[in-house]
Amino acid sequence: MTRRFLLLLLLSVFFLPGCDRLGERPKMKIAYMNCNNERETYQRFAPISSYLSEKTGVEFETVVVDTHEFEERMKAGEFALVHTNSLLYIILKEAVGLKLLATEKRGAFGTHTAGALIARKGSGIEKIEDIKGKRLIFGPMMAPSGYLAQYDLMLAAGIDPERDLAYYAIPAGAFKHEKLIYAVYFGDFDVAAAPVLDLEEMTREGKIEADDFTILAQSATFPYCTFGAAADLDPALFDKIKKALLDLGPEDTAELDGERLKVFKTSWAEGFEDLLDSDYDGLREMARRANMPPYQSY
Amino acid sequence: MAKLSCAGRLKLLLFLATTGLVALLVTAPNGGGTAGSSALDKAMERELARQARAAFVRELYAPVTELRDAGRPQQALLKLEELARAYPGDPFGLVLRAEILRELGRLDQAIGHYAQALRLNGEFLDEQGPFSRRTEIRLLVEEGLATLLPRFQSHPDNRSLAATVKEVYYLQSRLAGGCE
Repeated sequence: MTRRFLLLLLLSVFFLPGCDRLGERPKMKIAYMNCNNERETYQRFAPISSYLSEKTGVEFETVVVDTHEFEERMKAGEFALVHTNSLLYIILKEAVGLKLLATEKRGAFGTHTAGALIARKGSGIEKIEDIKGKRLIFGPMMAPSGYLAQYDLMLAAGIDPERDLAYYAIPAGAFKHEKLIYAVYFGDFDVAAAPVLDLEEMTREGKIEADDFTILAQSATFPYCTFGAAADLDPALFDKIKKALLDLGPEDTAELDGERLKVFKTSWAEGFEDLLDSDYDGLREMARRANMPPYQSY
Repeated sequence: MAKLSCAGRLKLLLFLATTGLVALLVTAPNGGGTAGSSALDKAMERELARQARAAFVRELYAPVTELRDAGRPQQALLKLEELARAYPGDPFGLVLRAEILRELGRLDQAIGHYAQALRLNGEFLDEQGPFSRRTEIRLLVEEGLATLLPRFQSHPDNRSLAATVKEVYYLQSRLAGGCE
């Protein structure tokens, strides 16, 4: 009896860890670009990771990453997937061969967005040429619709932002895009580099009125935030993830910290679409003209 | 004369339309309740309601039209956002949105919004109607087929292109009209 018990115990020691391993799901990380702050970004996007885990059988961990850290951490092979703005997608494609998975839809332009230069209505600034010698507030430097697009608009109008403005500034902290719109509204700056999406959302929420500002110039549209995959991601898994993203609808839910949440509602996304890499060529041209990464030269 | 606000003009317009409708109903020949006169009353009611609605829609979206005419399409789009707070999903708003998005180079979005508007209200196809967009839709279909179809044929697995091309065909089918 004792001998039989000892044998059973011995077998358990050998086989139980094996059972644990069988139940284990592969683990991978998804890097999300930090928008306003780490906590908000996590709460916004963790349900997408959770949804993708449910659909693919992979345990995806949500990691919030600063815009400037993506390239280095992708090169180190830390992330399987990334969700970034479209400029970072271009940079990471050049740097590590990032593969286009899906493009997020949000706002009037759907998968696309644009940048505008705005002035307070009645300020006397009516056209882009009027901004010479004025105080301008940009969004963060790696923001395609809050910096790059407007920088390019100024260059196209023969204005060198480094020399022809009185000065320019970039606000710090959370809600930068809203801050710069308010900065012009309250007269702290003469001109703002406003993402059209923020103008649209603030108008929809009643924070501003459509005719509070004069739109001095607006860029062509270019793709909005983008999901990309590491070049070495298993192609079968790539297809599975892509399908899950394109299938995602307004009623889909995912679990986060014991709660079931609507994925679109928490993430602010309105869908994901299957764009072509060539859809990003307009933005590439903008980056080239503005001497921005990944085409920067000194 | 003092300049009326947009809301003031709308109220005045609705007041005039209602007064006109009441006056017509009161003064219309009674005809002793025959089926013919009743049908006439109904036809007049319908026509008045149609005219009042058309005037209301024009007045409601006049600021959007003015901004577009002034060459400020983005601000027109923002004005539509404002109006959408009170009239969400209004098909007239969707058509205007589609037109502005097309001007701003978003062909796929323009197609989607036109299709959405037509699913809600088919009168945009009525050539004689006050809101006819038949020509615009036809041109959009032609452009959609010329630019999106070859793109889709080169990328037949692309689900987004497939969905947009399907909407182009939907618009084309609506232009063609019904069939038994």
